[in-house]
Amino acid sequence: MNNQQLCIRVIIGCSVLLLTSCTTVSVDQVKHLATNLTSGESVVVIGRRSGRNYETEPELISCIGNSLSKGEAGLNVIPEQQFVDSLYPWFEPRTAPTQLRQLQHLLDFKQVAQIFDDYNVHYIIWVDGNTEKTRSSGSMSCGISATGVACFGFGSWDHSSEYEASVWDYRSHKLIGKVSSVADGTSYMPAVVIPIPLIAPVQAEACKGMASQLKQFFSTSVK
Amino acid sequence: MVQLKNDVIGMTKYAVFLIFFITLVGCSNTLEVTGDFPRPVITTLPLTVGVVYDQQFQTYRYVEQEEERSDWNIGIGKAQMQLFNAVLPAMFDQVIGVEQVSGANENSVDLFFAPSIEEFQFNVPTETKIKMYEVWIKYNMKVHDAQGSLIADWIITAYGKTPSAFMKSDNDALNEAMLIALRDVGAGLSLRFRHVPEINAWLGQRSRSQQAVQP
Repeated sequence: MNNQQLCIRVIIGCSVLLLTSCTTVSVDQVKHLATNLTSGESVVVIGRRSGRNYETEPELISCIGNSLSKGEAGLNVIPEQQFVDSLYPWFEPRTAPTQLRQLQHLLDFKQVAQIFDDYNVHYIIWVDGNTEKTRSSGSMSCGISATGVACFGFGSWDHSSEYEASVWDYRSHKLIGKVSSVADGTSYMPAVVIPIPLIAPVQAEACKGMASQLKQFFSTSVK
Repeated sequence: MVQLKNDVIGMTKYAVFLIFFITLVGCSNTLEVTGDFPRPVITTLPLTVGVVYDQQFQTYRYVEQEEERSDWNIGIGKAQMQLFNAVLPAMFDQVIGVEQVSGANENSVDLFFAPSIEEFQFNVPTETKIKMYEVWIKYNMKVHDAQGSLIADWIITAYGKTPSAFMKSDNDALNEAMLIALRDVGAGLSLRFRHVPEINAWLGQRSRSQQAVQP
């Protein structure tokens, strides 16, 4: 390999690294009360689905749940669908409690309270928000010939994630705190014969940021 | 030479057939809604209910009529039967399938319940500004007493939506939205049944007459 080839490879490598790292995440948290999660107790992460024009993505909820349950200090996380199915029809998009007093009212129903007790739920983490495309630009054209398919052009698009998690204490019926995560990123797709997508993992970064903050939220309480 | 000519003609015919087939398939979407529905966690009413599922309800299929839209053919009947078969046994002590509402019932039925679909609508993201698959199903619920007289007749509009996602097909996304809509009707029916004014009045009257009979 001569110097020129090596130089080209280094430039391409650096460009790829620069292009793929175009995601910024900022995470904030407000903690009103101390958490007290004891061994054997569980948390449940549920997405809010009552918004008219958006929906909190199920894959984000499972991503947060998986991140919380990983590691040595992993929490007992009840999978969202399992929990929602067990409590059907009380946690559907149009019936889920949106305020703590509604949860309190719901828990007056013994069958529902029994299911919460069976799961040993202590905290409910409600996640609201979504990831959306905010801008796209560029153009690309593809053609078919006898030798195959070829594309030329360049496209880029921005994604923005905005999520807020509210932590409810099932036992004390209080709002423990909130964690919010805002992530922005730009994805690129240059095409010289073959299109090469360089995707900014905006939602995954938002999930990572939120999960690590939530873990800190509970880290002092697991006994 | 003749062999080569025949081969070329044969391949051309095959290619034309293939393109024609792909074009046909590309223009139509067939979806048979499938999924599972949980049993609701609710208080069961001590009633024996006869359920009337007419043929149209059991095999309900939406076939797109508008020329501007893709040729959607959506089978809902099987999935909605599954939903009602999960929800009704949790709502009532005993649920019996009956052919029709009849005054001379031999099964000691307290009520007859007859659901039907009045309207079905859906949107795919290419048709709206939001990146969402949306489904609306308008159900008409009819309840008759043991003599066959109509007690209550009300509408439940079910709604389901699911966001578009990378690598998720139209069929998968619409199936998800359909399941959410069906769960929504199950939730609406199971939670509000006894709060329908006419049914609430009937239940109150029945309770009073049962108390009067007791010594």
